Amino acid sequence: MKAVKSLFRNPPLLTLVLVALVWLVAGLTLSGFGAYGHLRYLLELAAVIGIAAAGQTLVILMGGIDLSVGAVITVTAILVPLISPAWDPTGLVGVALALTIATGIGFLNGAGAAYLRVPPIIMTLAMATFLQGLLVVVAGGSAVTVSNPAVLLLGQARPLGVPAGILLWLVVSAAVLLIIHRMPIGARFLALGANPLAARLSGVSVARNTLILYALSGFFAGLAGILVLGMNRQGYVGIGDPYLLTSIAAVVLGGTSILGGRGTYAGTIPGAILLVTTTALITVVNASPGWRSIMFGTLILSLLLVSGREARR
Amino acid sequence: MTDKKPLLEARQVFKGFFGNPVLKGVDIALHPGRVHALLGENGAGKSTLINLLSGALQPDSGAIAVDGRPVGRFSPATARAAGIAVVQQELSLTADLSIAENIGLGAFPRRFGLIDYAALHRGVREVCAMVGLTEPLDMPVADLALGRRQMVEIAKALFRKPRVLILDEPTSSLSAHEAGILAGVIEMLRDRGTALLYISHRLNEVQALCAHVTVLKDGGVTADQSLSGIDGEGLVRLMVGRETGDLFPPRPACTPGAPRVDVTGFSAGLVRDIAFSARAGEIVGIGGLVGQGQEDLLLGLYGAIPAKASSAEVSGKSGLPADVGAANAAGLVYVPADRKHEGLVLPHSIASNLILPSLGRLARNGFRDRPAETGLIADLARRLTIKGDVARPVQALSGGNQQKVALAKWLPLDPSVLLLNDPTRGVDIETKREIYLMLRAFAAEGRLIILASSDTPELVHLCDRVVVLREGHVAATLVGDAISEEAIVGAAMGVDRKGAAA
Repeated sequence: MKAVKSLFRNPPLLTLVLVALVWLVAGLTLSGFGAYGHLRYLLELAAVIGIAAAGQTLVILMGGIDLSVGAVITVTAILVPLISPAWDPTGLVGVALALTIATGIGFLNGAGAAYLRVPPIIMTLAMATFLQGLLVVVAGGSAVTVSNPAVLLLGQARPLGVPAGILLWLVVSAAVLLIIHRMPIGARFLALGANPLAARLSGVSVARNTLILYALSGFFAGLAGILVLGMNRQGYVGIGDPYLLTSIAAVVLGGTSILGGRGTYAGTIPGAILLVTTTALITVVNASPGWRSIMFGTLILSLLLVSGREARR
Repeated sequence: MTDKKPLLEARQVFKGFFGNPVLKGVDIALHPGRVHALLGENGAGKSTLINLLSGALQPDSGAIAVDGRPVGRFSPATARAAGIAVVQQELSLTADLSIAENIGLGAFPRRFGLIDYAALHRGVREVCAMVGLTEPLDMPVADLALGRRQMVEIAKALFRKPRVLILDEPTSSLSAHEAGILAGVIEMLRDRGTALLYISHRLNEVQALCAHVTVLKDGGVTADQSLSGIDGEGLVRLMVGRETGDLFPPRPACTPGAPRVDVTGFSAGLVRDIAFSARAGEIVGIGGLVGQGQEDLLLGLYGAIPAKASSAEVSGKSGLPADVGAANAAGLVYVPADRKHEGLVLPHSIASNLILPSLGRLARNGFRDRPAETGLIADLARRLTIKGDVARPVQALSGGNQQKVALAKWLPLDPSVLLLNDPTRGVDIETKREIYLMLRAFAAEGRLIILASSDTPELVHLCDRVVVLREGHVAATLVGDAISEEAIVGAAMGVDRKGAAA
């Protein structure tokens, strides 16, 4: 009883236990679910969500939200094939350029929120709409195929049988956990999220941290965009759309307060895995796409209720 | 006078939270026509007792009796129906609604199912006149200063024509003038036969207004007696349970050092074109009625609100700090009056709050140095006698201990100028004494302390110099023996007095 109680006070662990339970039950009842290849595939899908949600976790911890994540993923996925210079055999220059652009977009989001005092929800939504329009103008409606070797390596390589995307996710996870728990800036994000006024009067610079945070979110969304592109081999308008809501859902499923000030990326990781697992299970059920969406939405809502996330304050 | 039946009683009430007993068998009886004082240090159980008496909480055992009859399930609705009203310490007003709507909220006169604004305004005008609220009734409460909001809160309680009125630290944000009006209202209600319960940390008010006292200590009643013949010393003895020395530390002869703050033509917020200077080793008090620019003076010097000055030298640097970071770097720190909203990150641990301003200084190669942080936190907790586990959320602490955290977090920066905004508001007497001693020690170490306060005795007995603000201007600067309650109040209200040499 006591163990159960303490479990409910530790959302990241609770989400992890939930994932383990779902995997165990599904593995025993559904043929093929528990196969190594299938589980590996789930993790590979979760890696994209997890990386996109890395920036989202940081932003939400500080009490903001980034609605441009999906658009930034699309921008990078379409830009990399277009801007990778032909003289670069590694493809790293194109990747670096695309990541710089993604970070720059995030920086603009931060500048709007910090200096123009536009609420982040409006600023990032406007940015997303702007980018989508720009992409239609620049890339037209057609898909672009990627030939950048670095991107293809990231999307397709399996050193020692482990997909490179999962390895990238591990690196991102380590970095984000270090930022939140081992660096001063992480403690400042949390303080700003819980009480911006008290944090400001304690000498925490709101503008500076907002800029850093949204730039980081742009960077991680760009990284997710490159991974998606490598896995798909093609970039097209709308490729990033599914990752906006899933990035937010993964954060909240992981027990991070949507109001800011409380939570950790350690919850977002199992949150992302839980999301792709749920999607996979729904796909198994033979239903029309409409019903799948309805089931997905209902499931997310009930998962949130089960874990009683938003603790009464 | 008290031979009548009590209107409201608690009989042997017990109440605990999460297994911690807060009230252990408390009796209290409120009689009509009597002002009853409830005293006790923070954490003694006063708030819990008030919540039981107003139906906000149910006792674990024991009973609440109205008109001598125990009430089974005493809910806020039953309490309202029985004519019990509470003026809460934490303001419970809705900022966007008007004064009239706030006062009438929950008891709107209706006509055809709609709010009858004409009737509402008639009733509201009457109670506003009683408490001296002259602002237009349709003004949003958000536009009022804190002290005026408190008067609205009191008017709201009066609007319900209560038979029992509970006032929880009603004067903590009031100016001396407003407190005087409130005292008049209390005396009038008493003469009309209302039973009043008065909670305050200001003993002179208790002595002036109250006839009977109940003292709580650690959840038990340590005194329940008439106040006649008990002086201030006696009250403190009742509360603390032992002899206390003077509340204020002795004031040594002031030998100010180098100028630390020197501004002329300074404007920030409500403050208009003032000259202000202060030297190392001084405790300078900022007094005045509530909302005359005291807070803006501190915030302006701290770089937290836009400010300008024709000439400024702050902590050895010319010019005002551009932002809070620059002020901190120059050795200025600020402790806000509203510690819950401005001073502390309430849901976070005591440790994270203590370490917040020092995060950058302690970091090595961009990473936090955990052992160094833990050492510093333990040291701060020990120096300020903050007891218990520092991993607890800071909101679990009593008001006094929260204030200690809000102050302690700045010590590692070795500040040369401390800007304090009402640091003892809602703080119990023992902690007050600790804070006063600490401030004296800081001054002796050559730090400058600028202290805005709504507690006049604090200004009189603690400060070496008092600057009284009125409508954003300096109304008087009082030094040494010229500092007295009369001189401060007189200057604050714009009355010319002897000794108030500007």
